[in-house]
Amino acid sequence: MSDAFDQLPDDEVTAAEFALGVLAGAERSAAQSRVAREPAFAAMVVAWEERLSPWAAEIAEVAPSPAVWDRIASALPASPTQKQGLWQSLAFWRGLTLATGALAAACVGALIYLGNAPQPAPLFAAIDGGGHHHFVATVDTARGSIAVVPAAFAADATRVPELWLIPADGKPRPLGILRADRAVTITIPPALVPHATSNAVLAVSLEPQGGSPTGQPTGPVIATGKLTLL
Amino acid sequence: MDIDANRSLIAAALARIPGGDRAALQTVYRLTSAKLFGVALRILGERSEAEDVLQEVFVTIWRKAGDFDAGRASPMTWLIAITRNRAIDRLRASKRSRRMDPIDDAVEIADSAPLADDAMEMGEDNARLHGCLDGLAGDERTALRGAFFDGNTYEDLAQRASVPLGTMKSRIRRAMMKLKICLETEPTT
Repeated sequence: MSDAFDQLPDDEVTAAEFALGVLAGAERSAAQSRVAREPAFAAMVVAWEERLSPWAAEIAEVAPSPAVWDRIASALPASPTQKQGLWQSLAFWRGLTLATGALAAACVGALIYLGNAPQPAPLFAAIDGGGHHHFVATVDTARGSIAVVPAAFAADATRVPELWLIPADGKPRPLGILRADRAVTITIPPALVPHATSNAVLAVSLEPQGGSPTGQPTGPVIATGKLTLL
Repeated sequence: MDIDANRSLIAAALARIPGGDRAALQTVYRLTSAKLFGVALRILGERSEAEDVLQEVFVTIWRKAGDFDAGRASPMTWLIAITRNRAIDRLRASKRSRRMDPIDDAVEIADSAPLADDAMEMGEDNARLHGCLDGLAGDERTALRGAFFDGNTYEDLAQRASVPLGTMKSRIRRAMMKLKICLETEPTT
């Protein structure tokens, strides 16, 4: 085994030592700055953290004093740094929703017609919350579009329903604004199409008019549904 | 806490933090603070210091949640790594020698079986890790435990085991290599 270890690159040894926590002083500082600067090294450290972290299940949970949360809340800066990309852009989503909304009925019709086509199989989700269907969604994986029909969704005077795709990594991605009074067809961003698979989750949250200003759900999630093969 | 059941809740809450959602940070705190405080307390040994670390950890989470990549690491791994790193930095800065118990006592405490509810919560990953740890020599396992749970440095571990520093470095590196090979190749038992 020691021979095998000697064959490992020094980087991997250092990543393992840093993740385990045995380094001190200048060696630890050097490893910390490499984590910040070198993605490949950081990935090796993460892989080691992933290997070791199940061990923490052995550590007993201990409740901190209630005052700690208050200290944290008062120490927070006003807002974390935000990363805004195209897919988080409100203007982009507004435009997309308007453009696709006009075509909704025709697209739903086309989807139903294409349901007879052999490949690829469309995905379906009943987006449920509080014991009833709010929306029914059908994903056309070939065209990279999603059609969402309101079922028992009741409109809110001040907030709009926004649709999110939550793939296996658990991170919600905005898909667009839904309507309570008619079907909406949304083009899935090309980068998200590979994530629109069976077992991915669709969620609907209530957001301010125009959609979430942050690119992440800000209001309550009122309904969710898992995509399944039709 | 059932870590697996809460995993998607924690990930979803982390994803809301970059938008400035304080309630999301509080959700993460509610779901994880007892575990993370336990981790920090184990390394630092004093509640007041561990609470300072917990505060630093959650301010870090607030600032850095946008960096969390659910495709690369599980949320608990990410949170535990931040906590261990903050606690170890504080331990190193304090220059105090903690956990310098004689090695025989340490073995007895360290190798005690996990509690039953912890064992149930461990899941497959932990069963695999434990299976692989069982394959290590006793002195290798003890050295890894001293580092992971107590935040010991190479120097601390060498002193505890009364061996030269170079011997301890070889021991740890050999143990980590065995662990990696085992985790990559052994089927789940």
